[in-house]
Amino acid sequence: MSFLELVNITKRFGKTVAVDSISLSVDKGEFIVLLGPSGCGKTTTLRIIAGLELPDSGKVIMEGRDITYLEPGERDVGMVFQDYALYPHMTVFENIAFPLDVNRRRLGLSKKDIEERVASVAKMLGLEELLDRKVTQLSGGQQQRVALARALVKEPKIWLMDEPLSNLDALLRVQVRAELKKLQMNLGITTVYVTHDQVEALTLADRIAVMNRGRVVQVGTPREIYENPSHVFVATFVGSPPMNMVECRALPDRIECPGFTIRVPEGVKVLRGETKVYLGIRPEHIEVFDKPVAGAVEGRLFLKGRPWAQSSSSTYSWATRCSELGLLGS
Amino acid sequence: MRRTRKQIFYFLLPAFSLVTVFVIYPIVYSVILSFLDKSTGAFTLDNYIRILTDTNPLKALVVRNWGPTPPWGALIHNVIWVAIHVPVTVFGSLLIAYLLKYHVKGGNLIKTIMYVGMVIPPAVGGLIAMFMFYERIGVFPIIFGWLGVESLSKTWVLYRETALWALILGSIWVWMGFGIVVVSAGLEAIPRSHIEAAKVFGASSWKTFWKVVVPQLKPVITVVMVMTALWDMKIFDFVWASSKGGPLGASNVMAIIMYDYFIRDLNYNAASAVAVLLTLFISPIIYIAIKRMRE
Amino acid sequence: MKRRIKLSVVLINVAMWALALVWILPLYGLTLVSLMPYRVVVTEGWLRIPDLSVVTIKNYVDVLTSPLYDVGTGLRNSFIVATLSTIIPVVAAALAAYVFANYDFTLKSMLFTVLLFVMMIPQQLCVVPLFFLFNRLGIYNTFTGIILLHSAWGIAWSTFFLRNYFRFLPRSIIDAARVDNASDFAIFRRIVLPLSKPALITTSVMQFTWVWNDLFYAIVFLVSKDLQVVTQKVIMLKGEFVVDWGLLSAGAILSMLPPLIIYALFNKYFIQGVAGWGVRR
Repeated sequence: MSFLELVNITKRFGKTVAVDSISLSVDKGEFIVLLGPSGCGKTTTLRIIAGLELPDSGKVIMEGRDITYLEPGERDVGMVFQDYALYPHMTVFENIAFPLDVNRRRLGLSKKDIEERVASVAKMLGLEELLDRKVTQLSGGQQQRVALARALVKEPKIWLMDEPLSNLDALLRVQVRAELKKLQMNLGITTVYVTHDQVEALTLADRIAVMNRGRVVQVGTPREIYENPSHVFVATFVGSPPMNMVECRALPDRIECPGFTIRVPEGVKVLRGETKVYLGIRPEHIEVFDKPVAGAVEGRLFLKGRPWAQSSSSTYSWATRCSELGLLGS
Repeated sequence: MRRTRKQIFYFLLPAFSLVTVFVIYPIVYSVILSFLDKSTGAFTLDNYIRILTDTNPLKALVVRNWGPTPPWGALIHNVIWVAIHVPVTVFGSLLIAYLLKYHVKGGNLIKTIMYVGMVIPPAVGGLIAMFMFYERIGVFPIIFGWLGVESLSKTWVLYRETALWALILGSIWVWMGFGIVVVSAGLEAIPRSHIEAAKVFGASSWKTFWKVVVPQLKPVITVVMVMTALWDMKIFDFVWASSKGGPLGASNVMAIIMYDYFIRDLNYNAASAVAVLLTLFISPIIYIAIKRMRE
Repeated sequence: MKRRIKLSVVLINVAMWALALVWILPLYGLTLVSLMPYRVVVTEGWLRIPDLSVVTIKNYVDVLTSPLYDVGTGLRNSFIVATLSTIIPVVAAALAAYVFANYDFTLKSMLFTVLLFVMMIPQQLCVVPLFFLFNRLGIYNTFTGIILLHSAWGIAWSTFFLRNYFRFLPRSIIDAARVDNASDFAIFRRIVLPLSKPALITTSVMQFTWVWNDLFYAIVFLVSKDLQVVTQKVIMLKGEFVVDWGLLSAGAILSMLPPLIIYALFNKYFIQGVAGWGVRR
């Protein structure tokens, strides 16, 4: 049985459908990333898992328990917000201790217990020196780690993260990314991570759920998403520079593209007489030659809109328009 | 999420239980009382008829025969009050706030000084109004005395030709500070670039003021107008402390009429009718205010 | 470095400062009158440089100590009433405002409109039924009665004001606390309140001043001499036919001092509170 399961979750805000009948399974210890452009519903989905929003229909099931309508506090989740949401009037220690302090009686913790747990989490994240400082005095990177510590200290069943790295500068982001992945792997906490940054997704995730317009378009490992996109959206969203797309006509024996024609690839059958297909090729799969080569398509190279030279491409390359190189079919 | 529903209820309980008992219930009962006959308790419109048609200037809401001077009826006095006080306050505070912001050093101190009128008890404000226009010790009577205008160098509050005006002028002293503070805040919200752009285009200060600044101040102006108008219509302490509505009703206001029916005549039904009428009268202003505040 | 200063600017500055002086003149005059025997004021006026030999605080002493005037009792009573009438509504309003700012519930809109409505209606609309109610409950002519009444009124505008402030606290902080399983009361007490200190001060300061300055409710609901508040005592200093401005001004100044002192100390909060009316944040 999967650890976390979303079953047909739908959420509307007024007339807009933010989340459109989403179903998703997350395994224990898995690092799953919800990836998509802004407005695609990923944050709303995360908030529904957290309990900060209630779905209009559908179920959220964790470890077999239906938690759809439970209070956020009753779900045993740890959450890291995009703006860290640290309590500005408290010190680092007080911030990290808060989840424990607020539940002190219920968890049967003594003051000493809380101090110990906070200390160990702080150590894990390199915050021991900063415990007495007010959080407003910390740098962005330090604040981020405090947010992580706070989400960790109660040893939650699941970790929810809403673009936690987007407020960090580029250099720091790469650094923290690596540390975060290491931490998660060491602790083995199931994590649901939201981002619009595909590089983050590809490097962090065990599996990625690509979302657009309230729907999950494809779920798979980073490799699957990258090499076998099942939808034009996924194909063009993941990959930088983006995959090049050409609209072609598929016939039983050949595929006709603007400017050139190719064989029908092996193992593919064209069912009906004529179908519209999209042909996609990643920029890194294009080879450019300045002399005609067998099996290549001839075209003209445009560098920033101006013709560069007469060139052609290799067997794998098709007539495309790349972001910087413009290659037109012969 | 049921836990939340209960919490919401408990959080609201202290506030709304007090408000319900001490405000909502009385309002409803007042309205009912206003329609009941004083002795029989039967439904009647007599209370309203009586308060509207009473021609005794001490009690009149609108006087039958209009002389050249007040008393003209409490309701009329309130309306005149609004008609004078509100425009003066609005224009005054617009002008002063604008000048203070852009042309004057130490504008904040001036604002602080002029706001004092709002901090003191309105009753004392009324005493100050009386003071300013008191013979031989009030500034205005002194000045008019020098100028030889005999009629204006007496105690304004004791004569019906002058009582109401003294109070209205006094209320201007009280509220100007409020207008200036509020308008100043509204001015802060206008990006400096708008003003500078107008200057670059060669608009004079005057033109800039009218064409660029004032339109953006519409919400703020509404606030000043609404607050001042409401105060002018509901006014009691200010008048009671100084003229008590006299002499002979020449500075009477609705709230004092209500008080008279209530405490002097022990006519609870008529008093309630006055209160209801007053509320009805200010309801358009209330409506505007609520609409603005709901955003 | 020579700077060309426009004549118009100079004139404006002079005019504005003159205006400020004119505005302060009544208070200045009142103060002077309170410090001189009235007969001196009548014969020689106050609009001149004060002659220090005539200055006396006799007016103040009389007004405070004489049982006829009893302003001292008035001051004490005003303090009691105003303080309690501030604490109760601010607490109740903060609780209500928290809920208005953070939750949606079915009656929310209606209840909020009720509060706005209460803010605007005349005091006169409440007094008659309350007069009967207070008598029946035995709280007529008591501090309890008038404190509860002032609290109810204070709750209306305080809730409005605090709710507007609470709305601008970052939502994510409250979300974080909810995820950490903090109860609403814990969130309220440990997060929202500490972060709202300025707004709470402003509300308290304005409510205290409003209650201190009240006259109407006081004359209706406080009848005994030992319960009357300072505003009532002051207007009683005004004689029916003859006004002794020495006494009256001294009493007036005493009644003004606490609000003025609060205004001076908390000036920033006053102005911010009022300025909030002017800005759509």
